[in-house]
Amino acid sequence: MTNPKVAETARGVALRLQRVRRVFENNLVVIEGMDLDIDAGEFLAVLGPSGCGKSTLLRMIARLSAPDGGRIVTEPKQFQTAFVFQDAHLLPWRTVLDNTALPLELKGTGREARHATARAVLAQVGLAEAEARYPVQLSSGMRMRVSLARALVTEPRLLLMDEPFAALDEITRFNLEVQLRDLWQRRSMTVIFVTHSISEAAFLANRAVVMTRRKGGIKLDRRTDLPAERTNDLRSDRRLGHEMKLLMDAMEEE
Amino acid sequence: MNRRVFLGACGALLASCGKPARIRLALNWKPDPQFGGFYAAPYQKHGLDVDILPGGAGTPTVQMIGAGSAEFGIVSADELVVARSRGNDVVALFAVFQNCPEGIMAHSSRHLASIGDVLKEGTLALQRGLPYARILERKYGFDHVKVVPSPGGDISAFLRDEKFAQQCFVMSEPLQARHAGVDVKVFPVADIGYNPYTTVLATGGAQLKSDPDRVKAMVGAVRAGWRAYLNDPAPTNAKMHDLNPSMDAATFAEVAEAQKPFIETHQDTTSLGSTTAERWTTLIGQLAELGDIPQAIPAQDCFRNL
Amino acid sequence: MKRIFPPLIPFVVVTLALEGMVRGGFVPSYLVPAPSAVLRALIDSRDELASAMAKTSAAALIGFGLSTLAGVAIAVLLSSSRAIQRSFYPYAVFFQTVPIIAIAPLLVIWFGYGMKTVIASAFIVSIFPVIANTLTGLLSTDPALRDLFRLYGASPGVTLVKLRFPAALPQILTGLRVASGLAVIGAIVGEFIGGQGLGSVVDVARTQQRVDKVFAAVLLASVLGLALFGLINLVSALTLRRWHASEQPG
Repeated sequence: MTNPKVAETARGVALRLQRVRRVFENNLVVIEGMDLDIDAGEFLAVLGPSGCGKSTLLRMIARLSAPDGGRIVTEPKQFQTAFVFQDAHLLPWRTVLDNTALPLELKGTGREARHATARAVLAQVGLAEAEARYPVQLSSGMRMRVSLARALVTEPRLLLMDEPFAALDEITRFNLEVQLRDLWQRRSMTVIFVTHSISEAAFLANRAVVMTRRKGGIKLDRRTDLPAERTNDLRSDRRLGHEMKLLMDAMEEE
Repeated sequence: MNRRVFLGACGALLASCGKPARIRLALNWKPDPQFGGFYAAPYQKHGLDVDILPGGAGTPTVQMIGAGSAEFGIVSADELVVARSRGNDVVALFAVFQNCPEGIMAHSSRHLASIGDVLKEGTLALQRGLPYARILERKYGFDHVKVVPSPGGDISAFLRDEKFAQQCFVMSEPLQARHAGVDVKVFPVADIGYNPYTTVLATGGAQLKSDPDRVKAMVGAVRAGWRAYLNDPAPTNAKMHDLNPSMDAATFAEVAEAQKPFIETHQDTTSLGSTTAERWTTLIGQLAELGDIPQAIPAQDCFRNL
Repeated sequence: MKRIFPPLIPFVVVTLALEGMVRGGFVPSYLVPAPSAVLRALIDSRDELASAMAKTSAAALIGFGLSTLAGVAIAVLLSSSRAIQRSFYPYAVFFQTVPIIAIAPLLVIWFGYGMKTVIASAFIVSIFPVIANTLTGLLSTDPALRDLFRLYGASPGVTLVKLRFPAALPQILTGLRVASGLAVIGAIVGEFIGGQGLGSVVDVARTQQRVDKVFAAVLLASVLGLALFGLINLVSALTLRRWHASEQPG
């Protein structure tokens, strides 16, 4: 049951994980032979208990670490990846604007150009007036939005997010989820979103996988049956509750 | 009511309660032949239990006596006079060196004729704070010589540099230099008319008043010790060499012999170590003229011959 | 005024108490000088003390400047690889443990009697805190930020300049605060041996039993240390003011 909108997209990244294996230094096998196909432009949620290897998986996809076995094939071969962490991880000595523009600066973009792009993205996350402030002056929700803006500034084709909203209060979280979904729809990039939260996974993604407790297996792989437009009204919708129940059952058995 | 130094009063109180377990004698340098008699002294026979505290560069023996951290100490006559002028009641009991053995040594290859010539060029290592340093400065000026801090018994800089001269004990560093193959010419400080008693046993005035018997016993023991050491320094040298291995046994013997003329100048050996009011008066006058003390102090208060 | 007043009170109290104790004969003046005597010594010997302080200040500043540059450079080098760090860091610790009094005569052999020896002494005594704190700062970079820089293809050099070094700045400044005081101590010790500046004033005055002059020189040395410390604090405030938690109001 594929979402028709996703199938039309050609600007995201498609990934194929083939028998991917990852072992840690103490010979602990974190992921054992995982197979996973991800379509271009998908919004994939990855759920699982602590220690199941979801963050490890994400880092391998980001090419920050290499698998010890198997491979990860991407289509296209070269593309820009962006990463959003659980903490905003901003550079405290830079303004919001310079933080947002950082990826462009590292890639060699000139000052005028990168500031213009950064301003545009900051407007999209609603932080236009904050561009001259320093991280120490922002609330945690605002900092996360800067982190998000920074991730989007290079127009990445693959956006990886590791429990980015976990530390925020619920209302801020709800609003950021809506904003993220909206940004994804406008840009059509592949998003892989790791989370602990069943409601978040169900609300945000059009496909969710639940990982096993150990060895990085996949217990459930489901395309969520929800409308493309996701607003806060959906949160009280019965269909959301149904998806959540399916995910919860999968999480609980073991 | 006399103003008593608080610590001195405490010390007198303690002393009058009976003999404390130990008597401390603070030296102002490492154990070497200049202290031979103190190490040879038969303290037990004179009813004393003495603990000798070796010193080093800058040991403040005069202040230690004043503060009560040592009952006896070794000082030089000029620092005793200065201390007295500042209100520190220290009294001289026994002067080892009747004539001051301090001097300036220079490489003999420089063919210098007098102490003034040393100050014409090169480097001179000298403790600038000493009275004779300032007498030299007044008399000859330091304009042509570079004066640096004294390396305290270490002659390595002297050996390395021909134009390097340094202060010394006339019978000590020059010997070491000769052993190292450098011939030296020594200019005694006494030649410029400055001749304070040196290596002087002193004690606090308070103790002298409160326990005169103990002080007398100490002087008696020290006198006997020096007589013994002058007769036969070998056993005591061995003891001191163990405490101060930086000087070898042969040098100990040589220095012990070379220092005799500075010590034994009295015909009458029963007054070994005693001092005269005349010499103290001369010294006080010289220090007053230098400005080290604001005005002359009574010479007879500076010493006691027991 | 609010910031100067609190530290002044203990100073005034102690000074008055000391003055009373010396004048009343409770403490002998040849052991501890009355504050009024120290003040008089400051005034009477002001020319000598001023020129000595200028010499000590110059040596301490230059020694401190050198140890800052060399210390940061060494720390950057040590932080670049575990192998280098493990091989060479123990030798850096040598600077911490070597007793300066013992090697000062060696310094005279290499640098002669004069300013160079004093600077060398200040340098040796003050460099270790710079190395240690800078290294800690450089090694504590947020791993997530390091990943971020890798993600965007930043070279190690760019990562050092744009991430690791600014991130380490608060820690580096901590190291500089410690090093500044040590540089003054190192200079004074070097002057005992090398013969100039406030150290020489202390040495000569001590021989003359002029405790008042000794205290006057020591007081000036403390002022110098305080001035350097204040300078670092000023630099810290200026660079960290806008963004670091430690400099935020309230």
